[in-house]
Amino acid sequence: MTDTTLTPGPVATARPDRGSPPGGLARVGRAVRPQAVATLRLLPWGLFAAVLLLPVAGFLLVAVSPRLFAQGDAWFTLAPFQQVLSGWTAHALLDSLAVGAGAALLATAVAVALAWLTERTTLAGRGLWRLLLWALLLAPSYLESLGWTWLVEPQGVLDRLLGQDPVWLRSAVFGPAGVIWVLASRGVPFAYLAVTALLRGLGREFEDAARTHGGGRLATARVLLPMLAPALWAAFAIVFAESVSDYGVAATLASQGDFPLLTGAMEQSIATFPADFPLASAMGWLLLALVGLALLAQRRSLRGRSYQVLSGRTRPARRTRLGALRQTAALAGVGTFFVLAAGVPAFGAAAASLLPSGGRVSAASLGLANFRHVLRSGEMTSALGYSARLAAITACAAVVLGAVAGRALARQGGGRAGRLLDLLLLAAIALPSVLLASGYIFTYNLPFASSLGIDLYGTTALLVLGYLAGALPSAARLLSGPLGQVSDSLLWAARIHGRRPVAAWAGAVLPLVAGSLVWAWLIAFCGTLLELPVSQLLAPPGQEPLSVAVTRQLQGYDLGAGAAMTVLVVAGALVLIGLVLGALRLFLPAARSLEALT
Amino acid sequence: MRAADMSGAETTGTTGTLHVAGLSKSFGATRVLDEVSFAVEPGRFLVLLGPSGSGKTTLLRCLAGIERADAGSIRLGGRTLAEGRTHLPPDKRELAMVFQDYALWPHMTAAGNVGYALRRRRPGREESATKVASALTRVGLGEHAERYPHQLSGGQQQRVALARALVAEPGLLLFDEPLSNLDADLRERLRVEIATLTRESGATVVYITHDQAEAFALADTVGVLEQGRLVQLASPEDVYQRPASPFVARFTGLAGELAGRVADTPHLGRVLCATAAGPLVATAIGTHQDGAAVQLLLRPAAVVLAAEGGPDADAPSGSLAGTVADTAYRGRGYDHVVELSDGTRLTGVFDRRPRPRGTRVRVTVDPDGCFAYPASASQAEPDAVTPINRTPVEVS
Repeated sequence: MTDTTLTPGPVATARPDRGSPPGGLARVGRAVRPQAVATLRLLPWGLFAAVLLLPVAGFLLVAVSPRLFAQGDAWFTLAPFQQVLSGWTAHALLDSLAVGAGAALLATAVAVALAWLTERTTLAGRGLWRLLLWALLLAPSYLESLGWTWLVEPQGVLDRLLGQDPVWLRSAVFGPAGVIWVLASRGVPFAYLAVTALLRGLGREFEDAARTHGGGRLATARVLLPMLAPALWAAFAIVFAESVSDYGVAATLASQGDFPLLTGAMEQSIATFPADFPLASAMGWLLLALVGLALLAQRRSLRGRSYQVLSGRTRPARRTRLGALRQTAALAGVGTFFVLAAGVPAFGAAAASLLPSGGRVSAASLGLANFRHVLRSGEMTSALGYSARLAAITACAAVVLGAVAGRALARQGGGRAGRLLDLLLLAAIALPSVLLASGYIFTYNLPFASSLGIDLYGTTALLVLGYLAGALPSAARLLSGPLGQVSDSLLWAARIHGRRPVAAWAGAVLPLVAGSLVWAWLIAFCGTLLELPVSQLLAPPGQEPLSVAVTRQLQGYDLGAGAAMTVLVVAGALVLIGLVLGALRLFLPAARSLEALT
Repeated sequence: MRAADMSGAETTGTTGTLHVAGLSKSFGATRVLDEVSFAVEPGRFLVLLGPSGSGKTTLLRCLAGIERADAGSIRLGGRTLAEGRTHLPPDKRELAMVFQDYALWPHMTAAGNVGYALRRRRPGREESATKVASALTRVGLGEHAERYPHQLSGGQQQRVALARALVAEPGLLLFDEPLSNLDADLRERLRVEIATLTRESGATVVYITHDQAEAFALADTVGVLEQGRLVQLASPEDVYQRPASPFVARFTGLAGELAGRVADTPHLGRVLCATAAGPLVATAIGTHQDGAAVQLLLRPAAVVLAAEGGPDADAPSGSLAGTVADTAYRGRGYDHVVELSDGTRLTGVFDRRPRPRGTRVRVTVDPDGCFAYPASASQAEPDAVTPINRTPVEVS
């Protein structure tokens, strides 16, 4: 028999007398604990923000108050903005705006077509196309620029293969068209990711509803397209923000074609001596304004509308059967895109690396001389070793911190801490890396930094911090998805069935997210290995990161060596990815059976 | 059984009484558990019944050690699981749990899942294999040991979860709405298996659900939770026949409700009430004064269609006149919705023979299944005005 009341036994009454002081303490402890825990949870992120983001705030302040940092006479001035908004920097601002809009429009259009073809039709080779998109995502923008450069420049690959200087093609590539194309093709994977999730989930019930209520094919498309609006806006905003803040293209294609862009102008005003920080800071403001504008436009366009089209009842979409003719046309279109986005630059790099450094070209003169030269000189190996070490450190830190942050992001009702973290990560993602690096140079070079004992300026540690600031936000975002998908009850089930916390996590959660962790590591590693803007600005004296070495080779017109270096590194990175993924499959066979689920 | 007697007991199979005293828990300003106290003797099956938001899940999570209570204590036999600053982590509580979403580890086979839970007993390889195989055989999945969860149906997955919970022979078994994701036919089959296997294992069981039929079918004792308070703790029969409050009565299945006044002083637990639909004799719950307003709650089984609904004069005394608003064929017979003369609708009125829609009928009401509460008691509850839409249940 059970009853609702408990008769207080002797043990129960004895307890309060015996343990009243600890009992009192316990009460205080319990009252304090929730707030203390909340504060403790916030602390690491606060620290993180201080180290990663405060320097940028300082850098942005210098535009309006140069005197505050001993960079000028005025306590408050808008002169740097006037200076930026006139002359060639104004030109650069307008160029950036136009290029960003053009690239975003082009990328969104291409991405919608690609997403529709790969998700909603029976297009052949869908897996291959998705793989190529990942490859595009991993390759930094200056690699694509370099590929085109090697192809079309005077004494370049085409010139020497055809025996004729391709002037018309060069003027197109080293100008708005080339810049927009490279930025757009870089933006397509981002836009694709934004569009494809919705397109895949947009169940056929909406299509069926439109058709059963008498809509034709065209009318159905008109019904469905507005439902995609949030994804389209998101795609446009992402590509626009990525394009205006891109530095790789500004430093390569645009700088060679006398087509100034804002990020390039910013780097120049810092890298030239004496550095004009207020001017660079004003450009930083404008850059932020452009990025903010894109995100704002996206928000505004969605205000007051609800687009919850995904639900548990959504049925999987039906694929449209492509006939032979349309299949061929679609394949030709998709193939053309990838040839132009990846194939041509890859060909440029490969050909440039195989061509001899001078003289006439014949089939016999193609050879591995450039590779031998690069490998023997030691320049490449030391740069590669340095960058690989830093990339590995950055990737490990980004995965560990990103997993913790991603978990906090994925927790529902994360409260104030979660929202703050979300905001910080968004801000860090939106911050162009040029701006980030400029902020580091500026702040950690200030006299008060060294008087505080922070002697980071010109050290490898600062370079790693810069890399981490770039890699962490995307790692956290990337991991929040898979970590959020692992139901809490899996972990609790392991705890309840007798596992300690660490063992429970390792047994019940780790195997499920190991694949994502490895992917996040690889993305952070490859991204850092070939990262350009932060490396360019923050590399300590006497050390040369890989990307800086490659671009220096190009500027020194040792085309063959630079190209050979690039080809070696990209091939090495691909081998590494293959090895790691292979190992993952081997050691985690369950991951394979889980993939069958998705 | 006194706690002291159990101090030397093994933790497997048998265990001491589960004592929960003054358990309270708030999330922010919301009080989710309010001074909940109860005790479950070893080997007994307690079902905690309540709507969503009543705190039953939180209570179970406190028992499991997933949530930390703000106040109160949980003891299992001689061991204190939680009290004040003491909070044993889940892995030290020597219990097992079946989750609503099964919580099977997707990267392990059925045997892997069950074996993982057995490892706390540190068995040898052979012993482990034997026990896992026998646990899976007991739930009828001996053939599916090497399948992964996604290769199993929902019912099979929940059977694996059941085997996983039983295999280490824990003293306390927790069930978190284990049948709510299954369809009706499967629910009933798995309910029988849970009832049989848990009683065979001798474990104490705490089982939460929002389904009163499931609760009545499984429980030795039913506890009804309302907004974090344990409002009734009794045998299923007692809960059905003497619901402690209008809330409990509504939650355990009603045909309908009528407002009325006490027409005569209560006598031997019965009270005559006047309603707009006619006079009714009801079971008096609480104190009633002559002329006071009452709330009458009718069980579906207590409402019977009178033999033939002829002219009012021939009607049996104490019956109410109404019209059939709906007839639904249920296999064994017909469920009717009868609209009384005052517009009140009684649902789930069963009869072997159908009465077509629109037929004028008379219904009699068995006083045993008609409860009169003082009207103030139900008005005190904010949502008492809107009756909870529940499938009526018949407990014979």
